[in-house]
Amino acid sequence: MFIENKLMADLIVGISDLKVSNNPGDILVTFALGSCIAVAIYDPLVKVGGLLHYMLPDSALDLKKAEAQPGMFADTGVPLLFKSCYRLGAEKKRMVVKVAGGASILDDTNFFRIGQKNITALRKIFWKNNVMIEAEDTGSNYNRTVRLDLSNGKFLIKSSMGMMKEL
Amino acid sequence: MIEKIIRSVQSIPAFPMTVQKVAELVSREDYAVTDLVNLIKYDQAITANILKMSNAAYFGSRHKIKTIQEAVLYLGQQNLLRAVQTAGVSRFYRKVGGGYVTKAQELWKHSVAVAMMTQILSQKVFHCDDSVLYTAGLLHDIGKVFLGEYVQESFNKIEDLVTNRGYSFLDAEKEVLGIDHAGLGGLIAEHWHFPPEIKDAIAYHHRPDLLDKEGDYVSWLVYLSDQLCLMIGVGGGIDGLAYKGLEEALTRFHLREQDLEQGMVMLLEALEAAEDVINIV
Repeated sequence: MFIENKLMADLIVGISDLKVSNNPGDILVTFALGSCIAVAIYDPLVKVGGLLHYMLPDSALDLKKAEAQPGMFADTGVPLLFKSCYRLGAEKKRMVVKVAGGASILDDTNFFRIGQKNITALRKIFWKNNVMIEAEDTGSNYNRTVRLDLSNGKFLIKSSMGMMKEL
Repeated sequence: MIEKIIRSVQSIPAFPMTVQKVAELVSREDYAVTDLVNLIKYDQAITANILKMSNAAYFGSRHKIKTIQEAVLYLGQQNLLRAVQTAGVSRFYRKVGGGYVTKAQELWKHSVAVAMMTQILSQKVFHCDDSVLYTAGLLHDIGKVFLGEYVQESFNKIEDLVTNRGYSFLDAEKEVLGIDHAGLGGLIAEHWHFPPEIKDAIAYHHRPDLLDKEGDYVSWLVYLSDQLCLMIGVGGGIDGLAYKGLEEALTRFHLREQDLEQGMVMLLEALEAAEDVINIV
């Protein structure tokens, strides 16, 4: 089913990008998350959902860039993702939130920590805003491709090692 | 199996002479534009690719380029050299099938991204571009082009070592196949008579700490560029991020984590400007 879906209306979310939709025929897809993180949110009552693929934790790195491309950073991308879904009629209290990505290279030095920092940044943002993560598949050292099905909110993850699961 | 793999290197077509000849010619200060044009025109595949790529924003020409003559005039020496290298290397990536990636273009995109990242890091560290780094970046995964089918055949064994026994993907390849993609890439570079610093950078791009050659920076910066592109997820394959992290890659060049993050932002910009370059494969 995962592969056949390619023929349906796939909206592809690039790196540092986000997309939202209220069309139940749409599937939001993002490919090959390395250290980046995908945040999928879905309001089952109105069938509105969105997918963000951010690359870095903190917009303080480059404020100009963050303004032009808010989806690049966790702290600018996440609020925009939620607001964009509210505009389509979604409500915070019904939102189901799922998260994937944040992989790291094999790390005996704890030096390339971007994947881990991306996860931590997201937890902080959600903590501050009283948002619960319903399910997550983060960390480890493989790539992930994720799909959010707008008809039912199903969030599918395919890992580079070939495993497939629904969160 | 390893004998078969190593034997297959001998049947890999020669590296296009045009690329080396152009590099030689351009390195002389008094080269004639007509000589350069003639040199490139002689190689039809490179000519076709250069015309497809040279209007990419990445190469920054403000004029519309329709002929090799115009490419030589408008691209400037560094960009022309890069365009020729890119066009020459691309032919080897066209036939990648299965193994590490599902589409040939993904490995090519990864290679172009790593080549671009080497220039971003070279600018940060040395404040200049570096065509040796660029070539090494473009070719660092050439071993994957030829090892892919074997990796696919033995994937279950490799995956088991990585997932259950804490092997890096590279070590698992070596354990199962007798050779890893970096080592095989080094043999291919030798077959193509590349200079030692490029051959070493390809062969040690996951373990520059084992090369231990005085004055070596190429293998380290290719390593670092590769890790960053894997983290961003550009053209990532079944191997994912299962490679060894080496802290020394940062301390050696006095790079901070913030420099890496800025490099990632710059790479995304460069990739957007390079769509025509990626589309030649």
